[in-house]
Amino acid sequence: MIVQTEKVLSIKDLTMSYGSKKVLNGIDLEVHRGEIIGYIGPNGAGKSTTVKIMLGLLEGYKGKIEVFGEDISTGTYTYKRKIGYVPENAEVYDNLTASEYLTLTGELYGLDQKFAEHKAYSLMHHFGMEKVFHSRISSYSKGMKQKVLIISSLLHDPDLLFWDEPLSGLDANSMMIIKEILIQLANQGKTIFYSSHIMDVVEKISSRIILLAEGRVIADGTFEELQNQSKEGSLEQIFNQLTGFNEHKSIAEKFVEKVNEGQSNG
Amino acid sequence: MDDFRSLRILDTFKALFIKLDIDYPVMRRILQVKLTLDERRVPSIFNGEVKKEGSIYLKTLALYAFYGLILIPFIILGENYMFQMSLVFGVILFILMTSMISDFSTVLLDLRDKSILNTKPISRKTINAAKIIHVIIYMSFITSAFVAIPFAVGLFTKGIGFSLIFLVEIIIVNIFVVVLTAILYLLVLRFFDGERLKDIINYVQILLSVGIVIGYQILLRSFDLATIDVEYVFSWWHLFIPALWYGAPFEMLLHQQFSTPMIVFSSLAICVPLISFYLYNRVMPSFERNLQKLMTETGSNKKKWAGIDSFFSKIMCRRKEEQIFYRFASKMMTQEREFKLRVYPALGLSILLPALFVFNDLRMYSLSEVSNGKTYFALYFCNLMIPGVIHMLKFSGTYKGSWIYRSTPIQYISSIYSATLKAFFVKLYIPIFLINSVIFIWLFSPRIIPEIVLILLVAVVQIILTYRMINNEGYPFSQSYEFAQEQQTANNLLLFLITGLFVVGHFIALSIPLGIYIYMMILLVIIVLGWRVTFPKK
Repeated sequence: MIVQTEKVLSIKDLTMSYGSKKVLNGIDLEVHRGEIIGYIGPNGAGKSTTVKIMLGLLEGYKGKIEVFGEDISTGTYTYKRKIGYVPENAEVYDNLTASEYLTLTGELYGLDQKFAEHKAYSLMHHFGMEKVFHSRISSYSKGMKQKVLIISSLLHDPDLLFWDEPLSGLDANSMMIIKEILIQLANQGKTIFYSSHIMDVVEKISSRIILLAEGRVIADGTFEELQNQSKEGSLEQIFNQLTGFNEHKSIAEKFVEKVNEGQSNG
Repeated sequence: MDDFRSLRILDTFKALFIKLDIDYPVMRRILQVKLTLDERRVPSIFNGEVKKEGSIYLKTLALYAFYGLILIPFIILGENYMFQMSLVFGVILFILMTSMISDFSTVLLDLRDKSILNTKPISRKTINAAKIIHVIIYMSFITSAFVAIPFAVGLFTKGIGFSLIFLVEIIIVNIFVVVLTAILYLLVLRFFDGERLKDIINYVQILLSVGIVIGYQILLRSFDLATIDVEYVFSWWHLFIPALWYGAPFEMLLHQQFSTPMIVFSSLAICVPLISFYLYNRVMPSFERNLQKLMTETGSNKKKWAGIDSFFSKIMCRRKEEQIFYRFASKMMTQEREFKLRVYPALGLSILLPALFVFNDLRMYSLSEVSNGKTYFALYFCNLMIPGVIHMLKFSGTYKGSWIYRSTPIQYISSIYSATLKAFFVKLYIPIFLINSVIFIWLFSPRIIPEIVLILLVAVVQIILTYRMINNEGYPFSQSYEFAQEQQTANNLLLFLITGLFVVGHFIALSIPLGIYIYMMILLVIIVLGWRVTFPKK
């Protein structure tokens, strides 16, 4: 993969704490145009926190963040026009219909109302969801909600995507579509920054993998580079090794032992 | 998870259940969990007050007992059973039906049952029995809370015969209500989808909240007027009023009035519930099947016409950003069920309170006297809803969706709230104010039009004041309802007092020549300045 030189995102010595608890311990990152970055790490490593800070959802961080060359701590909002975001837990105003919600977000990104609604409809149509376009999102399944969020992050044709667990709730076929969309968008020169727990997906589509643990970047590079560095075969094994986790067997053994235990008093 | 007294009572029937081939210990365990869940649910009659486990349930019952007191005068006043007892049963039917629909729909429509219970090795019969017993426990609690005191009063004043009829009818009515609700849901689900049913339940909840307050007002006020010594005259359409069915047996048995209408009514009172119970048993399986609709994502896929919102968004807001949020807020206010449940009862009161006041006056004075008076000041009652509703604008059941305010490029954050307030004003306040104004102009002659404009201006000032006092930061629809009750009452009281101040100002202005117009100018200046300061452009 050719790494282009245009810098889209840069993070310098980012730290963040909730009260006395430090969640980010000095993160340094540079992201270039056209990269697909798989942002992985154990639960609570600070993945979503990083993304939220970059979008201005969280304040009170220390360090310097530049998006499209703009320092985001100045309170600027214009850089968000070129960003698309899918949040972690599919939280939306789900008493609105998909039509209403998507038109709203489209408009907030500066699209015309009619245009946004039209575009939203076609995108829903391609996902096979045109029949529920005017139904409340609350009646959707998890996967459908996720697709609405993915559409809402792409309506304004952004240059940088932050997708937090974009594949959660999707079936295998939808997952393939989304993976393909990611690859094609990146080929167009869009930058994608996504987090996931599904290691083989990350392994296959990322042009670069960043592994985060305890608020620190502990590995950063292509899959091949990570393989060479840790001498392990799959990303899952690399993940286990780098996060220092090798007790899965003994934990499972103890767990199964308990499952097999009979009733002692009756 | 406490042991419930109702379950211990149930234990005495253990043998019966076992004979019916029901796995009693399992059913008991299911019921125990369900009753525990009920304790943690906040019934709609409380309008979502502070969540405190346990005591809520008892408080609800106490409240029902209190509402039940309203039946007493109807029972003791006079011997005209057809009127009195029909009214009593009308009230009972209303209360039971509405509380059944609003608080107990969850049981009838519970789908968690399916995935949790039906996957376990429990017989279907046991599950259904648990469901029915659950409903019956709940209904008998509510009913006994509601009628216990009136029943005792009846026993002492009217004797045993009266009480026996009362008791039997109460039991029949109970079954009737449960079955009727189920059949109602069945019909709704057959023709509409689950979303529509949820809407209907929502409206019933609103109706219950409004109905209780209004009903109380009207009944208490009209009581001294009630002349109930009128002879009952039968008309065919009375056959369709269930309340009358239940008044008839008292008349028939206690006054030996064996006329045809009485016999027909009385037999309807017994037969209709029995027939519906039979029907219910027949259609129960298809009900279960239709319940699945609640889970599937059908739902009308018709585009809602939003032309009015679009139109007003352009009139009320200059900047495009504000227009977007105006439309958003309008939709949130009309489509979110929880918001409606918390706010619409207050709106209903705002429509009716001013009218009630004038009605009260009309009883004491003649129409010409009233229309020359100052009762139109009752229009200020419309403004009393402002603090409560604006407070609620902060909250949403889906408050977590509020991340879009920050992830999207919004230039003026202040336009989110300014648009929301404008949407509230146009969408909720104006319609109610207009209805009242039309009635008042008709009653008081067009001479009060300038003063109506004045009251409208006061409303705008109050909106700004309220916003500054209780919201003033953050985003609309961005907090959980869990926090909705915090430090609200104190502020609301203060804001009510402020309404009072404006009323005083109005009175003073009336005593000065052209005072009204001077007052208006002052208010206009306050509005323009206040809006600019509150929602700065930069």
